[in-house]
Amino acid sequence: MSAAIVEARGVTKAFPMPAGPVVAVRDLSLAVPAGDYVAVCGPSGCGKSTLLHLLGCVETPTAGTLLLEGRDVSELPDAERSAIRLAKVGFVFQRFFLLPMLTAWENVELPAAEAGVSRGERRRRTGELLDYVGLAHRAHHRPSQLSGGEAQRVAVARALANRPRLLLADEPTGELDQATGRQIVALFDRVHGDGTTVVVVTHDPAIASHTPRTLFMRDGRIESEERAG
Amino acid sequence: MADLRLALLLLLAGLLAAPASGAGPAAAPEDPAPIVVSRQLLRSQGLAVGDVVSLSSDPSGREARRFRIVGAYEPTPDPARLGDAWLEARLHLPDLISLTADPADPQAGEAVQAINVRLVDPGDAEAFARELAARLPGLAVRSTAAPPAGRVDPFVVLERFHLAIAVVTVVASSVFLLALMVMLVDERRETVATLRLIGLRRRRILLQVALEGLVIAVAGAAFGVVLAAALQAGFNRFFQWRYDTALVFVHVTPAIAGRSVLLAVPLGLVASLVSSWGLVRRRGLSVARR
Amino acid sequence: MRVWAFALRSLVRQPGRASLGVLGIAGVGALLFDMLMLSRGLVVSLQEVLDSAGFDVRVMATDVPFGGPPVTGARAAAAAIAALPEVAEVVPVAFGRARAAGPDGRVLHAGFMGVETGARRPWTLLAGDDLAAPRPGPPSLVVNRNLAEALGVSPGGAATLRADCSRGASALPPARFRVAGIVDFPFDEAAGLSAAARLEDFRHACGLDELDEAQLLLVASREGHGPAAAVRAIREARKDLHAFTNEELVARFQEVGFSYFRQISTVLSTVTLVFAFLLITVLLTVSVNQRFAEIAALRALGFSRKRVVQDVLCQSALLVGAGGALSLPLGLALSTWLDAILRAMPEIPASFRFFVFEPRALGLHLALLAVTAVLAALYPMRLVAGLPIAATLRDEAVT
Repeated sequence: MSAAIVEARGVTKAFPMPAGPVVAVRDLSLAVPAGDYVAVCGPSGCGKSTLLHLLGCVETPTAGTLLLEGRDVSELPDAERSAIRLAKVGFVFQRFFLLPMLTAWENVELPAAEAGVSRGERRRRTGELLDYVGLAHRAHHRPSQLSGGEAQRVAVARALANRPRLLLADEPTGELDQATGRQIVALFDRVHGDGTTVVVVTHDPAIASHTPRTLFMRDGRIESEERAG
Repeated sequence: MADLRLALLLLLAGLLAAPASGAGPAAAPEDPAPIVVSRQLLRSQGLAVGDVVSLSSDPSGREARRFRIVGAYEPTPDPARLGDAWLEARLHLPDLISLTADPADPQAGEAVQAINVRLVDPGDAEAFARELAARLPGLAVRSTAAPPAGRVDPFVVLERFHLAIAVVTVVASSVFLLALMVMLVDERRETVATLRLIGLRRRRILLQVALEGLVIAVAGAAFGVVLAAALQAGFNRFFQWRYDTALVFVHVTPAIAGRSVLLAVPLGLVASLVSSWGLVRRRGLSVARR
Repeated sequence: MRVWAFALRSLVRQPGRASLGVLGIAGVGALLFDMLMLSRGLVVSLQEVLDSAGFDVRVMATDVPFGGPPVTGARAAAAAIAALPEVAEVVPVAFGRARAAGPDGRVLHAGFMGVETGARRPWTLLAGDDLAAPRPGPPSLVVNRNLAEALGVSPGGAATLRADCSRGASALPPARFRVAGIVDFPFDEAAGLSAAARLEDFRHACGLDELDEAQLLLVASREGHGPAAAVRAIREARKDLHAFTNEELVARFQEVGFSYFRQISTVLSTVTLVFAFLLITVLLTVSVNQRFAEIAALRALGFSRKRVVQDVLCQSALLVGAGGALSLPLGLALSTWLDAILRAMPEIPASFRFFVFEPRALGLHLALLAVTAVLAALYPMRLVAGLPIAATLRDEAVT
């Protein structure tokens, strides 16, 4: 097995609340090797999204260690974690979160522009990505003019703008119908096939049964793990 | 004894005038004649009631005469003299005449700049002025309520200026108000969409919007009036201290409050209707779409 | 997409709101600009008028700038001052009133001035000749345009004035003059009637031949010394008199006569700035509140905290910048209207302007708007900086 691209060691994440801290992730250890394709499932409130946010350096653990490409990112300041996310992690959200005032092209181009990629390279990469997700013909449409499936595909293209090594998706088919959801799953398959490590949080059994590795969480812990084949 | 070189602003003491019949000062020669001075003069020169001062109409202080300060007064606030030092004294008319008259002028003892007349019925002022002017040609007779002929009252000009400023402020405030209402409406887009989908008619929603706008406008206008009334004391106190005057600078009258409310309420109502109109007009689900 | 372009796109996404914000800033910015011009308008105007005649020092009997008692022994005082090395020229001036009969028989009331003629004059010659040395025939008179039109005279014509220069009642015989020229007196009201003669002719017309008084001594300092030095020398030489440079006079007026306009300028400037601050803060805060999820998503994608905060600041700068730019022509137009209102004030010289454009006012206007833009953005910037990414994304997913 290849080296872990992201690894959690005894990670706990607690959120302070007026009535007392809420522990979303408890003493969780997990290694995601490079090239892996993992689904994370579980009931609502089991800590799936929190785990995703920890893996993607959006949150820092209350306890434990988080390693990204072997580097301890547990206690990095916000600015450094932002830079890591921009360069190494791609996010896809349930509600797409495309910027409504930008076209599909501009949405996809945005992370590369923020990363300081040259205009020529950005142009080339954006065109390539829109082709990749099959939406080159909709490049100059705004999100309000796209269907749910199209918007999510643009979101996937945006997540891949800076060639991240790790793609994290939080309920990517949650707002989509079954058929469209399958299209998105197929796209993730392709992304994974091209070498990107993919971790998907999902309620969708189609995805859960589709990925080679599935983690089941409950009460902030990984309860069980299934591997296909 | 305080020696005082004042050559300015000796006002006629009409209220204290003795008959100007060429008689001497009101008091016996060995007893300084009485004068009253403004509060500001008293303070600026470190004087006190009872002090004896010398007054002269000559800048060099020549031919000064002694007077006793028998009292201090607050000068009548005069907006035209804002910033002035209010250093003034009031004398018996014969004392002032004897102090300032040109000895070479035989009529100097009989000359005054003005005669103030207080009528039994102030409403008769215009008619009285006309009649007196007709009987005494050569005299300018006018009611104190009317500005001199051909002259613009500076306070009329200032009032126009203030009105112009108010117009600009109201226009800018209306823009602000409209911006706020547009934002409020935007936040309620989905609520309105839901209500329309449920089946509420446009008229019903518009009525609700109008009522809400009216409540906000009335509450806002009332708050504005209360705030203005609360601030006026502070404004007056500050500027009265700054200019050392009893002048009232800001006075929120019931008429002004009423005018403000009459202006603000329709503006608020119109702003809420205008900002909501586009939203209410649209069909179905397009209402919810941004 | 670079910071400014992104901020602009965020703003124009809600064009109605952005337009109203810009218009609101333009309106209050115009008022702010006008108040800044008003705060020094009269001062600048007065300074220009005082300086226009070439005299930079004024000497009076007391420290009252206008309307005070006259300088007695004016000839001796003028000679003593003229002898000072710091002084180039001294011109005694006396003021009075005069009446004349118009062609239609109506009585014209005019200001009448007596001036010791020298190299400089406190007026500008428009037509004809200036006051000359005495010559055979009626004495010379210069009149302003209004009086020339009212009398129906032109240079070379005749005018008869009945002077009134004393405090007491008088009934002087009329004096005949030859109108030498038409001049512009800097302190004339728009419809004012004014005339000036040599001081000697003025006194004669007033029946005051023996009276050696002048309301004012106009002094021009010698080049190389300057007005301040001239004033010091005059104060040293004649402690009984009160000498002021033009700047000192203007400062006195600013403190006393123009006080109302300074105060209203300060009050309205403050009100407009508070208004602009509130407008921008509310606009941006509401906009940010509506975009929390979007901002959280950008942060998750890798936008740094600094970057998203910058976006808010840039939006504020764009709103205030656009509104501020629009406020300048609006303010100039508004100032024309307001100036016309205020110039109807009595006893305001026609050459005075209440609203005078100065680069200083423009600079201050821009600086104040810039500070307002920054301050107004502080709260929404704080909201954005402190936005919890995961919690916001979670809330958005739930709702």
